[in-house]
Amino acid sequence: MNSFQVLLLGVIALLGIGLYGVLINRHLIKVVIALQILVKAALLAVIVAGRFTGRVSLAESMGLTIIVIDTIVAVLALALVVQIKQRANNLDSAELAQLKH
Amino acid sequence: MVATLVFIVILAPWLGALLVWLVGDSRPRTRNTLAVLAGVFAATAAVALLFAAQPFTTDDTVVSIPFGPFIGHLTLVADGLAVYLSIIATVIGTLAIWFSVGYMRGAAQLGRYYALVLLFIGSMCALVLSGNLLFLFLFWEATAFCSYALIAFHNDDPKAVSAGIKALIVTQVGGVGLLIGILIAAAYLPDLQITTLLQESANVPSAVLGVLAFGFLLAAIAKSAQVPLHIWLPDAMEAPTPVSALIHAATMVNAGIYLLARFYPAFAPVPGWTVSIMVVGSLSILLGGLLAMFANDLKRVLAYSTVSQLGYMVAGVGLGALFESNFFLLSHAVYKALLFLCAGAVIHELGTRDMRRMGRLWSKLPQVGWPFLIGAAALMGLPFFNGFWSKELLIEHAAEHGNGFLFVIFVLGAGITAYYTARMTWLVFFAPGRQAVGDQQSTLPKRTHLPISMLAPLVLLAIGVIVAWLPVERFAHRMLLTLPYHATFLISAEQADMLLSTKTVLSLSTAVTLTITALGVLLWWRFSKSRHSDAMSRVGAFADKSEAIFNRAAGQIVTGTQGLASVSQRAQTGQLTWNVVGIFLALVALLGLALWSM
Repeated sequence: MNSFQVLLLGVIALLGIGLYGVLINRHLIKVVIALQILVKAALLAVIVAGRFTGRVSLAESMGLTIIVIDTIVAVLALALVVQIKQRANNLDSAELAQLKH
Repeated sequence: MVATLVFIVILAPWLGALLVWLVGDSRPRTRNTLAVLAGVFAATAAVALLFAAQPFTTDDTVVSIPFGPFIGHLTLVADGLAVYLSIIATVIGTLAIWFSVGYMRGAAQLGRYYALVLLFIGSMCALVLSGNLLFLFLFWEATAFCSYALIAFHNDDPKAVSAGIKALIVTQVGGVGLLIGILIAAAYLPDLQITTLLQESANVPSAVLGVLAFGFLLAAIAKSAQVPLHIWLPDAMEAPTPVSALIHAATMVNAGIYLLARFYPAFAPVPGWTVSIMVVGSLSILLGGLLAMFANDLKRVLAYSTVSQLGYMVAGVGLGALFESNFFLLSHAVYKALLFLCAGAVIHELGTRDMRRMGRLWSKLPQVGWPFLIGAAALMGLPFFNGFWSKELLIEHAAEHGNGFLFVIFVLGAGITAYYTARMTWLVFFAPGRQAVGDQQSTLPKRTHLPISMLAPLVLLAIGVIVAWLPVERFAHRMLLTLPYHATFLISAEQADMLLSTKTVLSLSTAVTLTITALGVLLWWRFSKSRHSDAMSRVGAFADKSEAIFNRAAGQIVTGTQGLASVSQRAQTGQLTWNVVGIFLALVALLGLALWSM
């Protein structure tokens, strides 16, 4: 098993954990954490791809972009979670879906 | 030099729109002056473009801004066709704004009004000057938005709002057609430049080119209010009258003709395309004219007349008479804008649009009557107004190229035009007894003095109707020089010179057309005497029924779409986990598709 395969395995594992987390969790903060794991999988995949194709600099700049965007997403999501907690006093996504009507 | 002028043509109205909007309603005088000045600047620059001394080559690109590998360059091209339409948009736009100063005085929220009109003028110029398909689409939609916002300008009137939405939806049908065409072009062409499409159209597979051509045709039909998508134009008459004159008679509705003319060399070989254009144009000539014969609302008569006259231009493009149909476009823009502004002045004085409540206005409003009469004569095609030359050139072309079908339709259309024009002029200015319609009798105004801001545009446009055909050689020359792909469908300055002379006046087709025109007037005279003529009322009932069918079909399509939306709405469960499952399944499906196609 070479390093490329190990890294690829890592990507798949992170992807699986993140997806699983998003799927089964209804608590919004847990969902945000799971989303973060998902994004980290994508980030790792970009870096691995850069190393694999030899275009390291492109992968690095893409990776940095992803980190920045990811941070913004996390901050906004947590801010929304705080707002929801204050207004609805509830963080269960299934129950919050009732607000639609 | 040319680049600067092109920028002024587009940016002066846009900058004016921003300033007018910022000034708002607090200082009406400053606002009106700013609006008129922005228009004058743009119009001056547009006219200067025609005279700008430049050795024109086949590549007229004056501005080129790179926008990445997919979109290509944002280019602005000042070729004959673009300059031609920019002049129409800016000059008539300025006159409409000037007219509005008097016409709209005292109305609320005029900052919004002038800003939208100026935004429209700039967008229309950008649309015709753009050399890139994607930007053409962008400005195409911008004009549609301005049209919607101005039809619904009186936004406390539910009729105006629903008319605006109707116009928006119907023209969007065409917008979708245009977008599909442009996306297909993006897939098959190296970039999105219009010249690339004209150059490479032979290399595109014929089935794909067919979809492209008919997508663009759909866009043109919707924008130029051709049958069966003409239903939005009569309702659009809820707009303030200067807007009807500018957008729904002189400029925006011509964008469809522009689109067809611009891409004619690329699409002409597509089987069935030119025939479809001719059929659509002919149907519009006849149905539009028929509906105009029986409408009682002055603005609706003019709107149906616009549908009919636009049919001439569309059919002309289908015939391959690109110069003739664009000349028709110029003439129509001038005389129809004049007629609309005159109608606006009449409506302003009387407060009604119903022609049955007008009449005997000649002695009260001679300063409106004379321009209206000149415009009506041009609409009928009486010698030697601009409408005469443009109509005769088109009919001559049909006769010369042996297209008997279109020749008959054109001549028949001339007769119908004569009928409704005579009826309209009579009812508004000369009819002796006004019939009381509804419960109130409109009061005749005393001999009034229209403000100079309303009178001057009428006089200028009336002069335009008489002389606008004189500089036509220059246009012919300019178009032939700058449109290499269209050259075979254009005529040279010498030919234009020859056509606009005794050759056309003394030709057989002119004699036929004038005879039919006279017959149309006679027919109207005959039927106006006998109040209830069976034959005529049957024709009127038929026209009304066909219009109702088109409107009902459109209504059913809208209801159907809403039903579909309420069904597909159920897919939005609001459950986070289900959404994630959906995203995951879509991802798997896409990956599977990618692997399978590899």
